[in-house]
Amino acid sequence: MKAIAYRLVAVALICAGLSLSTDVFLTSANLLNVLRQASLTFLIASGLTLTILTGGLDLSVGANVGLSACLAATVMTSTGSIALGVGAGLGFGVLVGVLNGLMITLLKVPPFIATYGMLWTLNGVTYWFMGGETIHGFSAGFRQLGSGYGLGVPVPIYVMAAFLVAGGIFTRYTTFGHEVYAIGANREAARLSGVPVRARLNLVYILSGAMAGLAAIVYLARLNSAEADIGEALTLPAIAAVLVGGTSLFGGAGSLSGTLVGALILTLVVNGMNLLAVDANWQPLVTGVIVILAVWIDVMTRQRAEARV
Amino acid sequence: MADRYNSSPVNDVTPLLEMRGISKSFPGVRALDDVSLTAIAGEVHFLLGQNGAGKSTLMRVLCGAHHPDAGEIVLDGAPVRLTSPADARRIGVAVIFQEFSLVPYLNLAQNIFLGREPRGILPGTVNHRKMHADARRLLDTLGVDLDTRTLAHELGVAQQQVVEIAKALSQDARILVMDEPTAALSDHEIDRLFARIRALTAEGVAIIYISHRLQEVAAIGDRVTVLRDGKNVATLNSSQATVNELVHLMVGRQVETIYRRKFCEQPGDVVLDVRALDADNGVQGASLTVRAGEVVGLAGVVGAGRSELARAIFGADRVVGGSVRVNGQPLGRGPVSAVRAGVGLVPESRKTEGLALMRSVEDNILVAGLRKIFPSGWYCARAAAHVAADIVSRLRIATPSTGRLTRFLSGGSQQKVVIGKWFAAGSRFFIFDEPTRGIDVGAKAEIYGVIEKLVADGAAVLMISSELPEMVAVCDRAYVVRDKRIVGELTRADLNEANILRLAMHHDA
Amino acid sequence: MRSVPGAAYLLAILVVVFAIFGSGFATMANVLNIGVQSSVLLLLALPMTLIIMTEGLDLSMGAVLSLAGVVLAWMLMHEHGLPIALAAAAGVGLAFGVANGGLVVGLGLPPFVATLGTLGIAQGLALVITGGQSVTGIGDALPALYESRPAGIPFSMAIAVAAFFVFRFTLSQTRFGSYVSALGGNREALVLAGVRANAYHVSVYALGGAMAGLAALLLTGRMSAGHPTAAIGMEFDAVAAVIVGGTSFERGKGSLGGTLIGVLTIGVLKNGLNVLAIPSSLQVASIGVLVIVALVIDSGLKK
Repeated sequence: MKAIAYRLVAVALICAGLSLSTDVFLTSANLLNVLRQASLTFLIASGLTLTILTGGLDLSVGANVGLSACLAATVMTSTGSIALGVGAGLGFGVLVGVLNGLMITLLKVPPFIATYGMLWTLNGVTYWFMGGETIHGFSAGFRQLGSGYGLGVPVPIYVMAAFLVAGGIFTRYTTFGHEVYAIGANREAARLSGVPVRARLNLVYILSGAMAGLAAIVYLARLNSAEADIGEALTLPAIAAVLVGGTSLFGGAGSLSGTLVGALILTLVVNGMNLLAVDANWQPLVTGVIVILAVWIDVMTRQRAEARV
Repeated sequence: MADRYNSSPVNDVTPLLEMRGISKSFPGVRALDDVSLTAIAGEVHFLLGQNGAGKSTLMRVLCGAHHPDAGEIVLDGAPVRLTSPADARRIGVAVIFQEFSLVPYLNLAQNIFLGREPRGILPGTVNHRKMHADARRLLDTLGVDLDTRTLAHELGVAQQQVVEIAKALSQDARILVMDEPTAALSDHEIDRLFARIRALTAEGVAIIYISHRLQEVAAIGDRVTVLRDGKNVATLNSSQATVNELVHLMVGRQVETIYRRKFCEQPGDVVLDVRALDADNGVQGASLTVRAGEVVGLAGVVGAGRSELARAIFGADRVVGGSVRVNGQPLGRGPVSAVRAGVGLVPESRKTEGLALMRSVEDNILVAGLRKIFPSGWYCARAAAHVAADIVSRLRIATPSTGRLTRFLSGGSQQKVVIGKWFAAGSRFFIFDEPTRGIDVGAKAEIYGVIEKLVADGAAVLMISSELPEMVAVCDRAYVVRDKRIVGELTRADLNEANILRLAMHHDA
Repeated sequence: MRSVPGAAYLLAILVVVFAIFGSGFATMANVLNIGVQSSVLLLLALPMTLIIMTEGLDLSMGAVLSLAGVVLAWMLMHEHGLPIALAAAAGVGLAFGVANGGLVVGLGLPPFVATLGTLGIAQGLALVITGGQSVTGIGDALPALYESRPAGIPFSMAIAVAAFFVFRFTLSQTRFGSYVSALGGNREALVLAGVRANAYHVSVYALGGAMAGLAALLLTGRMSAGHPTAAIGMEFDAVAAVIVGGTSFERGKGSLGGTLIGVLTIGVLKNGLNVLAIPSSLQVASIGVLVIVALVIDSGLKK
C-alpha cells in the first residue's frame, strides 16, 4: 500500500507541475483524454502484469493487440456482424496466449524468448494479412466502445474500471490469484506446496492473451480504423506502465492497481510533452529512460531486501 | 591417553602448516573453538567429524574465505594473514570442493590455466601450444591419458576431479584440501585416486582429506584429527586408530539429552507404504513403511540419499519404478497428488524450498491448504486470517502479526511456519528433512514437542536428521540409507548412535 | 563447432527446396545477392553470439544501428571525410554498448529489459535528430565504396567475411575469448581465478555496440541514406540466427560457425520466399516460426 501511495504522490506532483506550466492541462477535455489514454494502456498492461507476477513476461502483447484488432476489423467488415468480429479478435488473443503458455510450460522455453519470437511472428503475419491496406468504417454503435461517453465519462474508462475490478477480484479473492503470487515469490516452494505450477502458468498467459484481445477491440473502436502497425508502439509503454506501477520483474510482488497508476504516470508524462509542444519523437526515448529507472529501482529494492534476510 | 590424542610430527620437523587456536563464531553458533591443526609436508591428514562439527568452517578459514575471530595461521614457521581466496592460493593452498569449478565449454588446458594462460605473440592472445603441452605434462604426472582438448562438460565426475587436482598442481599447491573426494567415485577410480595421492605426497604436498568413510583412514591416512562440536578432540596416528575408536571420538560420551520422548507403544495402521521405489535422482529399490503414531527416522551420512528418498516419496523428483501408497491409495505423480493425499514435506532448505520469504506469515501458512480450505476457489480474507491466527497460536510462532514477512522471523519460527503450512493443509503424514538445522536449542525442543504431539494425535512422521542424538531421542525406529539404498532398519532397542554410524559408514572394501 | 550439423541440415534442405521451386534462385547472381543481403546481419550476429554466450541479450542493436547510420549519413552530408564519419558512428555504437554493459553488469538489471530501455533511447534519439526523415545527400564516396568489389567480391561481403574471421580468431586465440565462455559457463570460476570478470563482461556488450556502429557503414552505403528506422527489428534476426546456429542461453556454449550458418539460413529463407513471391511480411513471421522450430528441436534433444 505504501508503494501505491508514493506513486499517487508522484501523480499529484506531475499534475501540479503541468497545471502550472500550461493552461490546457486542467481542462476537463484534457483530463478525460488522459484518463482515456491511460485506460487503453492499462487494458494491455493488465494481462502483462499477471505474467510478470509469476516471474515471467509476455513481450507479445502489443503485437497480439495489433493482429487481433486487424482480424476483428476484417471479420466485422466482411460479415457485417459486430459480434463475430469481436469474437474473432478475442478468440485470436486467447489462441496466442495458449501458444505462449505451451511454449513456456511444455517446451520449457524461457518466457522472454518465447514471447519475443511470438511478437515478431505476429508482427509479420499482421503485415501480410493486411497487405498494406487499412480497414475503415465501423458501425457507430461499435465505435461507442472507444469514442463514446457514458454520463460524460469516456467509455474506455468504464472498461478499465471493469478490468480493474475483475483483475483485483482475481488476484485477491481467488485461490488462483494467490497461487500466482506464490509462484512468483518462490516457484519451487510453491511447487513443493502442492501448487499446480504449470497449470497456473498456462492460465496466466492465456489471460494475458485474452486481455490483449479485449484491448484490441477497444482500440479498434477508438481508432476507427485498422492497419498493420497498430500494435507496434504498444509493447514498450505497456511494460513501462507495469514496472513504474511497482510490479517487480522478479515476480511475487505488485498489483493491477499499481499498473493503473503506472499507466497514469506514463500517460501524464506523454500528455505533458504534447502540451508543452515537445517533439513527439522524444517519446520513445523518454519511455526507455523511464523503463530503465523503474527496473533499477526494482533491482535495488530487491538487493536491499535480500541483504536484510 | 593424552599423548595418543596429541600426535605431533615425529622428528622435530617444522610442520608445513599450522593452524593455531582458531575460533570462529556465527550469530548464535560457535563453529570453531580454539582449534589447532598441523599438517606436515608429504602427509595425508584426515579431518573427521560429524556434520556441524566444524570441518568446513575450518577449511574455509584456511582457504581465506572466512576470517577467524581468534588464532593464527603459520606457514613454514612464519605467520600469514589471509584476506581473500587469492591470498590463500598465493601461499600454496588449494581446495577441491565437491562442486567443481570448471567451465563446461572450455577445454581441459583452458580450465587448468584459467586466468593464468601463457601469453602468445600478439597482445591478448594465448600460447595454445605451450598451454596444452604444460597441461599434458600435468595430466601425465597424474597418470591420466585424457586429451587436453576435451571440453570439461564431457568428463565424468572422476575425471573432472583429476582436472581439478591438475589445476591445483599448476598453481604449485603445497597444501591440498580435498572435500569428500571419493563420494562419487567407483572402486576402481578410488584406487587410482589413492595412487595419485601417494605420488603427490611423495613430492612433499600435504593433503588434508575430509571424508566420512572411516575405512579410508587405514588405507591412505597418516594422521587423523577428529572435530566435535567445534573442538579438536584428538589427533592420532592412523596406524593406532581403529574404526570403533574413531566413531567413539566423533560421537563423544552420551550427551544428556535435553529431550525425553514418550515412545510409541502401539503404532496404528500403515500410513506410508513404499515398495521397491526407483527415482530419477538415483534412489533404487527403496522399501519402507510408517505407521500412524510413529516417528520413523532416515539415517545416513551426507550424500547418502536420504533427501532424495524423501523427495521421491513426495513426488518432488520423478519416480520411475516401484510404488508409494498413502493410507492404502497409490500416489499419482508430482507434489500435487501427494499434498492432496495428505502428505506434507518440510524441506531441508526451508528458505529456498519451504517458504516464500517475501510473503507474509499468513500467505505462507495458507498456500498448501488453499484448495482444501477454499474448495470453491473463492478466497475469503477473513477465513484465511482466522486459520493463520489459529496456527500461529497453536504452534506458538513468534511473530508480532500474521502479516509480517517471513524473512524477518527467526529460524525456529520460520520452521514453524513451514510446519504450520501443512497443519493448515490438513496433512496426516509429514516428512521432515533436517527439521532443527540452524535452530537454537530452545526452539529445537519446541519442534520436538510439535512432532510428538503430531504423532500422539495419530499422524505419522518420517524424519531425516544428521544429528544422531536427535535421531535417537525422537525416533521410534530408523532406516539407514547408504549410497541411495536402504541398508538396514534399527528398532527402538538397537537405535543408538554407534549402530547408526556403523551402518551408515560401512563400506564393503 | 560440434553442434553445427543440425543447422547445416536445415540450411541444406531450404537451399534444395528453393532451388527446385524457385526459378532464378540457384543462379550465381542470386547467391551473391544472398551474401550481400546477409552481410549486415552477420556483423550484428557475431557479437550477439558472444553476448548470448554470457547468458545475456542485446535488444538495442537494431535501434543503435539505425542511429549510427543516421549519424554517419549526417556527418557525410556535412562534408566530413568518411573515416571521421565512420569513427563517429562507431563511437555512438560503442557508447551504447558500454551503457548496456554498465546497466547489466554494474547495476544488475536483467539484460533484456535494460537493452529494451536503451532501444527506446536510441530509437528516440534517431527520431529526434532526423525528425523522422531520411538523411540524404551523403555524397559519392560511400556509395562508391559500397559498390566496389575488392578481389571480385562485393564490398559488404568482404567486410562481413573479414569480421567473421576476426571474431573466430578472437574467440579461439585470445584470453578474452576463453573468458566469454566462462562468463556464461561458470562465472564463479573466473572470479576465483582472480580475473576481472566485470570488466570483461562489460566489454562483451561494448563490442556489440561498436559492431552495430560499424555496421552502419554497410547499411548507409546500401541505402545511400540514413534512416532512423532502417534497422529496426534486425536484432531479432540476429538473435534468431544465433539460436538457430546452436548457441544456447546457458553454460557458455557457443559457435560462431553455427551463427554463420544461422545467418545464411535466414538469408536463404528470405531470399527464397522472395523468389517465390511471398510477401516480406510473411518472411518475418517465418523467421519467428524458424526460431520456435529450432527451440523445439533443441529442447527435444535435451531430453
